[in-house]
Amino acid sequence: MAEMWISMGPQHPMTHGLWTLKVKVDGETVVDTEPDLGYIHRGVEKICEARDFTQITTYCDRLCYASANTWSHAYIYAAEDLLDVEVPERAEYIRMVAVELQRIASHLMWLGAYCPDVGNLTGMVWCLREREMMMDLLQELGGSRMHYNFPRVGGVKRDLPIGFAMRCRAKLKLFLDRIQEYEALLDESTIFLIRTQGVGYAKAEEMINHGVSGPNVRAAGHNYDVRWAHPYSVYDELDWEPSVERPSIKGSDCYDRYRVRVEEMRQSASMVLEGLDKMPGGSETYHEPGDPAILAKVRERAAEGKTGYHHFEDSRGESMFYLVGGGEKRGKHPYRVSIRSPMFITIPYAAKCMIGYKIADIPAIMGSFDPCIGETDR
Amino acid sequence: MTEDIINMRGWVRTAMDFVSENTIGMSRHWEYTDSVAWFLTEFMMCVMVFGGIMTTLLVLLWMERKLLGRFMDRRGARTSLRSLWVGENGVTAGEWWTQLPFGTGIPIGMLNKALNEIAGNDHKLEAVSRVKNRSYHGVWWLLPGFFQNLADGMKFLTKEHMVPEKADRYVFEIAPFLIIATTVMCFTFIPLGPNFHSNNSEMSILFLMAVFSVAPLGVFFAGWSSNNKYTLLGGIRSAAQLTAYEIPLLVTVLSVVVLSGSFNLIEVIEFQVDSGVWNIFLLPLGAVLFIVVMVAEVERIPFDMPEAEAELVEGWWTEYGGMRWGLMFASEYLRTYAACLLFAHFFLGGWEAPFEDTIPFIHYIPHITWVFLKAWFIFIFFVWFRAALHRVRTDQILEFGWRWLLPLSLVNLAMATVLRLWVYDGVKEEWPILVPILITSISLALFVLLSIDEDPKALEAQTRPFSVQTVDVASPGQHRK
Repeated sequence: MAEMWISMGPQHPMTHGLWTLKVKVDGETVVDTEPDLGYIHRGVEKICEARDFTQITTYCDRLCYASANTWSHAYIYAAEDLLDVEVPERAEYIRMVAVELQRIASHLMWLGAYCPDVGNLTGMVWCLREREMMMDLLQELGGSRMHYNFPRVGGVKRDLPIGFAMRCRAKLKLFLDRIQEYEALLDESTIFLIRTQGVGYAKAEEMINHGVSGPNVRAAGHNYDVRWAHPYSVYDELDWEPSVERPSIKGSDCYDRYRVRVEEMRQSASMVLEGLDKMPGGSETYHEPGDPAILAKVRERAAEGKTGYHHFEDSRGESMFYLVGGGEKRGKHPYRVSIRSPMFITIPYAAKCMIGYKIADIPAIMGSFDPCIGETDR
Repeated sequence: MTEDIINMRGWVRTAMDFVSENTIGMSRHWEYTDSVAWFLTEFMMCVMVFGGIMTTLLVLLWMERKLLGRFMDRRGARTSLRSLWVGENGVTAGEWWTQLPFGTGIPIGMLNKALNEIAGNDHKLEAVSRVKNRSYHGVWWLLPGFFQNLADGMKFLTKEHMVPEKADRYVFEIAPFLIIATTVMCFTFIPLGPNFHSNNSEMSILFLMAVFSVAPLGVFFAGWSSNNKYTLLGGIRSAAQLTAYEIPLLVTVLSVVVLSGSFNLIEVIEFQVDSGVWNIFLLPLGAVLFIVVMVAEVERIPFDMPEAEAELVEGWWTEYGGMRWGLMFASEYLRTYAACLLFAHFFLGGWEAPFEDTIPFIHYIPHITWVFLKAWFIFIFFVWFRAALHRVRTDQILEFGWRWLLPLSLVNLAMATVLRLWVYDGVKEEWPILVPILITSISLALFVLLSIDEDPKALEAQTRPFSVQTVDVASPGQHRK
């Protein structure tokens, strides 16, 4: 059969968003691929230049629909680096709880999307059911279900609600039980194993050369987790280790990437449980109360040419915010905001990973890298 | 023949004799009276079988929706059972029974009230109702969702029929007819009861299988003529898959034929009635093979490669819409229904009631009940597979079909031959009950042994128990030389 190009996207079940994957196939075998991104480019970086430092948080929430909290936190740490703001310890713990709950929700969303990719709807319904618990917890914190706008420069929006820790512990315990159900549904299913094992090999060194990070690179056996390698927040006070898979000599396959995320969900749950125990008392969650107090100091603290940045372990890899202060000329606004999106780097690599496999493997391989187009196109 | 309290063919024949004697028998063409009565009988039986199948097809769709809901979202047993008659999220349809004429709805209302009190969510405390996970309405129920399929059908009928501009118009239009017509034709040869069938030809199984395997041709037509890359791939996959699974299917059916000694479906059932044991206890391997192959033949998960929605959107029927899509969808379920009915006839004794000889008065239940109950019971397995399993890849499907199912079906055929030659050789006195017991227990033991596929050493060494061969190690940048 002659080779032909198939255009998968912009609306296609495989894409998990709005982008196009052009696939050149020879019969059922993929010969060449070409990702085509940029359908939902909103110019977030440029928009941020016209917003003051406290307004940017809401835009960062909208970078990724599945993992809003991690992105707003990534920005907040960079802004605090630029503005030299100190954060109370309790606020750091609350942030950690919020981010890790978001990570669980994001990974559940990923697993829920991955199951239909390999042909099973049950997994999706189960995952969304458990994600609902995380959404409820995050709603208690941020007041919203999707875009929380929870962190503030210098702290968090508000203290934990009364009884939050109790509900959080109960739900996480239930969740830790239910992870075993996913493993019973997926790991013990021969069909799931033959669909994911030996498919979509990605080597650690190649991924590092491309700049891929996060669970994808940890699945390939490379122990790099920003929370672990360059601890920020309170991660060095917790008792944990990054979950790293031991892949085969060919690299990590889809199954490795699935395993590492399931392990991360377990780990995040235990981190939240530990954080709730270690959290210092008091109600001080806001170092410099009120946005006006922060904004009043922006002109002197974010001097012209001064930069602030922060590497953040997002659910999908290493995200980074790079802020440049504008001094008097820019007023309360930053001079420049630059965002490093892990998925923008991963998607082209993942598209090359599927060369040589079958068409049926495309969703399995692409889904295993956990694409999120909101942050990719920014 | 099995005695049945419903002698549908006889009744219809009597009625048609009456009709033709009083019409054509009175005319100068009186010598054709018998032929006309025969023709009318056949016609009426066709209509009745077709109507029965199409009506009970709604049960299948309803079962699939409800069962999948249970499998996918774990609810407590009580909620699950109750929600079979309570509408999803307590949606009510009003007290429709009050609209019925002559007060015929009064018993329905009373039953509704009683069930509401027992299992309803109309508790006087709102919190209790919320715990029951239903909104604060009363219960209307009994079959909400059952008539959803009729509403869907109405919607399909009102939709515009579109043919893609660059499609091969004639082939595109012919393909659905080919699929639907051959699917409906299958039911000509499937009896619903001892005296409830439209056709009883000598070689009915052969004819049935021949008709059953015409539809793949239509699928291939549909996939090719739509002039869409996804449908083309779906059509090719369908052709490859159905060809690979046609042969094990035929060999498995052949084993049943060999054991029963007849190509006639009714005689296959009569053999099971006579021998006192259903074929599933004689050919357990054949039963398993049959259901696996049938899942592939009707293109359901895990073998729904031709319409894999994750990569091929909807495969070969992407370009169809309106009632053509609706009828093709119905024909897929009809094929599933045919598969379930065939399983019931081939392996579960057809219309024979379980323990028909031992339970008193069980023969007063019409035999058609057992046929439907068995078919629906088999359909539960189809839904279960769909809820629990993933989609197998194309090459894996073909490999599984050629390398496992074909040899296993040959083994099964050999077993059937041995049974026919030395055990069930037509002399009834020598048919021992020990043989099915032995075969069944050995098969169950083998099944349990083979189910334990965990290799502790492999688990410890973290090696991959399952691995597939790939073309090459994919490596970015190397594909463009």
